[in-house]
Amino acid sequence: MYKIMMFTGGVYKFSELKERIHDIGGFILQEMVMQTETMMHLAFPEEEERIIRDKAKETGGKLKELPLAGAEIMVVVPSLGKHHAVDPMCDIAEFLRRKGAITNMMGLARGVGKRIAQITAREKEIIEECDAAVFVFGDFKECLEVKSKICESVDVPYIITGGEPEVKIEHYVGNIGRKTARMRHKEEIDMLELLTEKIELLINDRRRELDEDPLATSPLFMKEILDLVLPPKAGEEFSTIMQLEGLRVKIEAGDEEKLKNVAIGKRKLSDICEIKKSEYDGYILKILPEAVTGNVF
Amino acid sequence: MEVKVEGGGEFCDASYEKICMSTLRDISLESNIDSVYMNCNAAEHVFIISVKIGRVQSPITVSDMTIKGDERLTVTTETYVPKLLDLLWDRYGEKVEQISRLEIALKIDDDEMRKLMSQVVYDPRVDLNTRILDGIDRILPEGARVRHPIRSTGRITIIASENPIKEEWKEKAKAMLSKMTKGDL
Repeated sequence: MYKIMMFTGGVYKFSELKERIHDIGGFILQEMVMQTETMMHLAFPEEEERIIRDKAKETGGKLKELPLAGAEIMVVVPSLGKHHAVDPMCDIAEFLRRKGAITNMMGLARGVGKRIAQITAREKEIIEECDAAVFVFGDFKECLEVKSKICESVDVPYIITGGEPEVKIEHYVGNIGRKTARMRHKEEIDMLELLTEKIELLINDRRRELDEDPLATSPLFMKEILDLVLPPKAGEEFSTIMQLEGLRVKIEAGDEEKLKNVAIGKRKLSDICEIKKSEYDGYILKILPEAVTGNVF
Repeated sequence: MEVKVEGGGEFCDASYEKICMSTLRDISLESNIDSVYMNCNAAEHVFIISVKIGRVQSPITVSDMTIKGDERLTVTTETYVPKLLDLLWDRYGEKVEQISRLEIALKIDDDEMRKLMSQVVYDPRVDLNTRILDGIDRILPEGARVRHPIRSTGRITIIASENPIKEEWKEKAKAMLSKMTKGDL
């Protein structure tokens, strides 16, 4: 299995680190060089971690674990009004990004209230395009108990956050709730860490399921090929976003046929993936299991 | 400013006290409000909030925020400059020119200048109710959109819910209001 970590350091010998990554069959997912500072998201086989750590130490840089890397997470709030945005929605999303996830943020059209709270079919579909969701609700226990029912229909792993410390609902993290300022105190950061740990458990459960029925190819490998065949436009970031079971690809109109015919090993992309137009951005490529497609290489 | 929240349980009461304090501080109403009382009934989804209006700042005149010079005004308090410019442009049109951030050139005679210095630029009493209602709107849960105000002197009291407001809640709110007026709450 691949491990994803973040390297931060200077420019000294960082190209040697990149070569070492490629030599051991790894990938560079993101790279940012700002004058003398570099940041890279690296994916490499778990068993080669020692080699990478030694090389990173040689360059004087640091390696940091990214437990949520390779996952796309949706942060959902009842509405985009002042009550829910920007605090604590943006703090939660930022914390998840610091742990390696790609985040999206969504305000429900009619998520406010207790009895009147609803989620539409389209909103549900958009959430289900991601690997996991975090629902950010308010303070009142009675509201949380009723509102949690709108999350039950969502078919991806989710966590519900709220204010009340103890509420008898599944996948709940308390002590977050409504905020009027950034979460910067130690207790608040501890709650964000707890939230991340719970999401990590859900994501790891899903990774274990995928290990038992492996995909035809790794999303990392497919991303590498797609970035070569359909390079991103100048200045565009994140044209290919990794998910646990595939990719979200943003392509130009007219490139759909090109995308379907991209060669992955001995097969075409359309043979090994379900390609679906996203409800809100790009195309979702869901990689089929190897048991269905057969050997790709 | 005193804030008291009841009925939501220990955590929610403390949380909403913080929300009240920081919301009213953010919109600069802290010094204009004596006390805030909020009653939360999440089970029935009814929220009652009552704000007692306190001291209100006296009107700001041109002389309060500028120093008169020779055919010019030097601004000393930038907060109300947009309102001052509005007033000046309305009255004198092209005779007014903002030559720098804190300097306004004004080609008028001395008599007119003297009269101008006593003109009111901003009266906080004019939009106080609107600002308090905005603050209440930010504090109350967003789903509690059905609102019913209760009239009383020196106070703004609102009942809010996602459901139609029942008569019993109105009676309850009035009873709370009379307790507050007597100082029992």
